[in-house]
Amino acid sequence: MLNINNLHSSIEGKEILKGINLKVNAGEIHAIMGPNGSGKSTLASVLAGKEEYEVGEGEVLLDGKDLLDMAPEDRAREGLFLAFQYPIEIPGVSNINFLKTALSEIRAYRGLPELTSKEFLTLLKDKQELVELKSSLVNRSLNEGFSGGEKKRNEILQLAMLDPKLAILDETDSGLDIDALRIVASGVNKLRNENNAFVIITHYQRLLEYIVPDFVHILYDGRIIKSGTKELALELEEKGYDWITQHETGIV
Amino acid sequence: MKQGLYNKFYNYLTDRFEQKQSTVLPFESESLTGKRNHAFSVFKELGFPTRKNEEWKFTSLASALKDDLQWTIDHSHSVTNTNKIDNLEASHIVLVNGKYAPELSDALPEGISFYETSAVLAEPRFAEKIASIATEQDSSMLALNTAFFTEISVLHVAKNALVETPVHVSHVFTVNVHPEFIPYRMLIIAEQHSEATVIETYHSESVVHPLFISYVSEQDVHESAILHTHMINTLCENTYFVQHREVLQARDSVVNNSNISLSEVSLLRNDLNFQLQGTGTETNLLGAYILTDSQHVDNHTLVDHQSPHCHTNEVYKGVLLDSSHAVFNGKVFVRQDAQKTRAFQQNNNLLLSDNATVNSKPQLEIFADDVKCSHGSTIGQMNDEALFYLQARGIGKDLAKKMIMQSFIFEVLERLTIPALQDYTSELLFKKLQSENLTVA
Repeated sequence: MLNINNLHSSIEGKEILKGINLKVNAGEIHAIMGPNGSGKSTLASVLAGKEEYEVGEGEVLLDGKDLLDMAPEDRAREGLFLAFQYPIEIPGVSNINFLKTALSEIRAYRGLPELTSKEFLTLLKDKQELVELKSSLVNRSLNEGFSGGEKKRNEILQLAMLDPKLAILDETDSGLDIDALRIVASGVNKLRNENNAFVIITHYQRLLEYIVPDFVHILYDGRIIKSGTKELALELEEKGYDWITQHETGIV
Repeated sequence: MKQGLYNKFYNYLTDRFEQKQSTVLPFESESLTGKRNHAFSVFKELGFPTRKNEEWKFTSLASALKDDLQWTIDHSHSVTNTNKIDNLEASHIVLVNGKYAPELSDALPEGISFYETSAVLAEPRFAEKIASIATEQDSSMLALNTAFFTEISVLHVAKNALVETPVHVSHVFTVNVHPEFIPYRMLIIAEQHSEATVIETYHSESVVHPLFISYVSEQDVHESAILHTHMINTLCENTYFVQHREVLQARDSVVNNSNISLSEVSLLRNDLNFQLQGTGTETNLLGAYILTDSQHVDNHTLVDHQSPHCHTNEVYKGVLLDSSHAVFNGKVFVRQDAQKTRAFQQNNNLLLSDNATVNSKPQLEIFADDVKCSHGSTIGQMNDEALFYLQARGIGKDLAKKMIMQSFIFEVLERLTIPALQDYTSELLFKKLQSENLTVA
C-alpha cells in the first residue's frame, strides 16, 4: 500500500531525513520509534505534504500513485490521514461542519455523492461513540478550548469519519492520560481492518501495549536503522535509546 | 479656501449656498437656519478634509469628489427592492435617497414613533435638537451635512416603552441621472427607561452614476434607556458613504452598536462618537468588514468617558484582499472624573494581499487613575498551520482559506443577538467570499 523509497528531506537547508525506506501493506500496523530529533515528526509532515519541508530525492507511493507531487488535500483524498501531534484550534469553524466539509470534499474527489444530513449524522453518532466524545464537543468550534485528551480523541474521530487507507498517528499518545490512551487505542483497534494500514509514530512503548504493531522500526538520525517485530519495542524500552545510539555508532 | 482637486465641487456648493438656492426648508425654524449658516461658515473655512488633516490621514476623498456631483436629489424614482430581511419580524421604514417613502413603510408599534421631515420641523422639541447633539467645531464633513441636508427623520421611543419588535430602517439609494450628492440625517431619541432596537441597512439599486452620501445620525439616549442599533452596509460600487454618528448617553443607559460592511461600497467612512455623560453606562461596539478590489473602509470610533463607572467594549475585525484599504482609529478618552472606567478595545485584521493596506490605530487617552483599560490591534496573515490542518483533511486550499476568513468574521457575526440578522449577515458573508455553499458555523 505505502512504499517509501530513499526519501530525503530538509528544512531550511538542514537535512533531516537521510534516505528512508519503508513498505507498509494493507492490514498492517507499523510503529516508528526513535529518540527526540530523529526525524519522526518530519516524516509525518513530509508524507502529509507540509510545504516547509523540501524533498530532495526519493519517492512515496500510495497504491502506486506518487504522493510527493500532490497537494496536501489530494493526498488526503487519495486516502492518507495524519493525526496531528498538536491539533490546531480554529475558532469560528464548528467541528461538525468541518467534518461535513472534509467528508464531502473527499467523496466528491472519489466521485461519490454527498451524504444526506441524516446519513451524515448517523455516521457521526456511530463514530462518536467509538471515541467516547461528547456531543457538546462535536458542536463546538474546532478544537477550541479542548483539553489535550479531547483534541487527540477528536483526531481519532476525524480518522473514523474519513476512513482513510493509511493513517499516520504522530505521537498521538503524548500527553494522554491512561483513560484517554485506552479510548484512543480501542478506537484504532476497532477501525483497523484488512484494507487499511496504520503507521504509529511514538517515543514510548506504552501505546504499543494497547495497539499491537506487526512491525517496529527504529528511526535514528534520519534513517531507519533497525526493524523488527513488536519485541523490538520491548527491547528498546528495556535498554533505552542509548543502546541504539551505541549500536549506531558501532555500525559507523 | 483653496481646495485643489475638490475646487470644482467646493465652488459649486459654496455658490449654491450663498445664492440661497433651496438651502432653507419649508417651516424651518430661524434657529435651525442659524445653525446652518454657522455650519456653512465652518465648511467654507475648512473645506473638504485632505490627507493633511490628522483625522483623514489615511483616507482621501479624491475618488468620491472627482465627478461633477450635483446637489439636486432625484426623488422621482420608485424602488422595487426595499431590502427586507428574511425571517426578521420588524416594522419597516423605507427612506429612498434619504426621503421617507410612506407607501413602502409600515406603521410602527406602540411606544415608538416616526416623523418625516416636515413633521420634524413642525415639532419644536425635535427641531431644536437638530445639530445640537453633533456640533461642528472642527469637522467640516459634519458641517457640510448640517448646512446642506434636505431630509431629516426622527425616531422617538417613549418613556418606559419596551418596544420588542425591531424597527428596520431601510436606506435605499436608487437610479440617478447624474452624479449626486445626498446629504440627510436622522435623530433618535430614546426616553427614560425605554428599550428599542433599530436596524439600519444601506442598500443601493440600479445606481449608475457615482453617489456621494453624507449621513448624520444623532442619538439622545436618556437615563436607563437601552438602545440596540445595527448598521449593515450592502451598498454597490460607485457609492461613497460618509457617516457621522453622535450618541449621548445619560446615566445608566446602554447602547449596543454593530457596524457590518460586507458590501461593494467604494468608500465608507464612519465617525462614531459616543459621549458617556452619565455614570454607569454601558457601550458595546462590534464591527466587521471584508474588503475586495480597491474598496476603502475607514472606521473612526470615539468613546468619551466623561463620568465614573462606565463600561465599554469594542471589537472590530476585518479581512483585506486585493488592493483594498482599511483604516481603524479607536479613540478612548477617560476624563479625570471618570474613575472606575472599564474600557476594552480590540481590532484584528487579516491582511491577505501584498497590495492591501491596513492602518490600525488604537488611541487611549487616560486622565483618571482608577481605571481598567486595554486595547489590542493585530494585523496578521493567513494562519498557515490552520490552513495545512484543513488541507490535510481533504479540504481544497481555496475552500480552506475561505473557511478561515469566514470563521474570522463569524466571531463578530455570532454576537448579533437577533437570529434573523445573524442569518442575513452570514449570507452576505458567503456572498462576499463567493462561498454560498459552504457553511462553517
